[in-house]
Amino acid sequence: MNSLKTTEVVGPVSIDPQAEVLRLFSEHGTALFRFCRSTLGNATDAEDVTQETFLKLLRHLQAGGDRRNLKSWLFTVAANGCRDRARVRLRWLPWRAELDHRTVEPVDDTPDLHRARQALRALAPRDRLLLSLRASGLSYKEMAAAAGIREQSIGRLLARAVDRWKRRLV
Amino acid sequence: MRCLTDGEIQAVVDDEATIESRDHVETCQQCRERVSERRPHMTTLFAVVHAEAVPSAIEARLRHAMTSSSDVRGSTVLRASTRSQWRRVGWVSALATAAAIAVFVGVILPRLGAPMTLSASEILGRSLQTLSAGSGVELLEYEVAVDGMSHSPVVIRQLIDRDNPNRYRIASYGPDGVIRTAISQDPLAQRRSQLIHVDGVNYIVRVGAINNPVLSLPQMAQALVETSIGIMQAKSDQQLTIEDGPSGRRYIIEVPPVTRQNPAATLDIFSARAVINGQDFHIQEFEATGALLKQPFSVSVKLRSQTQATNISTGFEIEPGPGDVVLDGEPGDDPVMELLTTILRAVGPAK
Repeated sequence: MNSLKTTEVVGPVSIDPQAEVLRLFSEHGTALFRFCRSTLGNATDAEDVTQETFLKLLRHLQAGGDRRNLKSWLFTVAANGCRDRARVRLRWLPWRAELDHRTVEPVDDTPDLHRARQALRALAPRDRLLLSLRASGLSYKEMAAAAGIREQSIGRLLARAVDRWKRRLV
Repeated sequence: MRCLTDGEIQAVVDDEATIESRDHVETCQQCRERVSERRPHMTTLFAVVHAEAVPSAIEARLRHAMTSSSDVRGSTVLRASTRSQWRRVGWVSALATAAAIAVFVGVILPRLGAPMTLSASEILGRSLQTLSAGSGVELLEYEVAVDGMSHSPVVIRQLIDRDNPNRYRIASYGPDGVIRTAISQDPLAQRRSQLIHVDGVNYIVRVGAINNPVLSLPQMAQALVETSIGIMQAKSDQQLTIEDGPSGRRYIIEVPPVTRQNPAATLDIFSARAVINGQDFHIQEFEATGALLKQPFSVSVKLRSQTQATNISTGFEIEPGPGDVVLDGEPGDDPVMELLTTILRAVGPAK
């Protein structure tokens, strides 16, 4: 369960921002979408947040923003995007994954995987966020930055989230 | 080395553990089994996230968004515009909309378990009332984890007389179930006791004829929780989740992490999560990160049990067991000084 490589882009600023965004999309786009999908439980919202995140990256690069550890930057922006999206939904109704019938399951889900996914979606937002970040291969340091939690607390909070997820599997 | 906490076990599974934790797992059969038990769960979670299908058009959408208007803000403008059919039917649609809203609010929302009458803030308000309400003697058991605290998480057993908050007994137990510290105070019996566990031995300092009971520790802790709940209540971005399980309804209220901090505040909450019983509004779990007197903290409290105590005749004493060292001290205004002076007086003649 190794972390994904950290993307260190400290090259010259003259790199074409659009080309850079597409390169980073090919490297992290799939993982970022899956993270959003898992956190939000909704493919349409996940697609929107993923795209918004990369458009923000484009503006960030065009403005000459910091290019170090852009993978961590992407997941932090996406995590905030997911939270905002969930908050908008809450203005109407507390969204609960188990009641959301619009979500489409992957066709090749085994019954066990299906049960595991249902249990993940039924968790509270922060637990879902932490488990999705970890399952996306982020290190504790990167998770701390993305979730706005102290790095020292990640192990404990993650353990509790896993325990709550396990209880829902039964 | 002591056995690892769940958080440390999780860190070993995630390859994020310290060398000490990893070494301990090598030598401890029990912890090794806990790691082995947890590992497949993480593999399943990885599989769940990685099985999510990725839309093939997502990259094309991004390319289009980047090359189209420079004023693009977000992706919602890129969707194929589907003109609403409602406009075509004119004023008739207004009646249909009103009827749909009425059905939604009156029929669908209650079945979905949405909070028809309670907001997150109101639920927190009711919980606040339960904190200070009640009478008689209560025995509470909590699991507490505080960042930076050795032997964390600990179990706290607290006996408190609701009618006389200065009458209490609090004891903390390490992960191994062994008592670490305790303090008790009973103004009715005019007694105060303190216990410290050092190198496998319990040292108890007992003081009689206390004149003025010191500030109640449970009341101080309660004031801190009340202030934290009050801050949560005042935040505008609480997230409310309702869970209907076999043990009844639970409200989960979260204040998402914020980076903006108030340096002037004595207590500032950066993120918080409260799980509240839907029947009696008691707080079952409470987690918060923040700063107290500008020092960052992270605390997690989980209520294990809450019972009304019936036999309280000796409940507020710390009863010494075999091998415990008991020292009788003089009463003072400060329990810390009481403890120190009693121990120093005992050590003095021994030198």
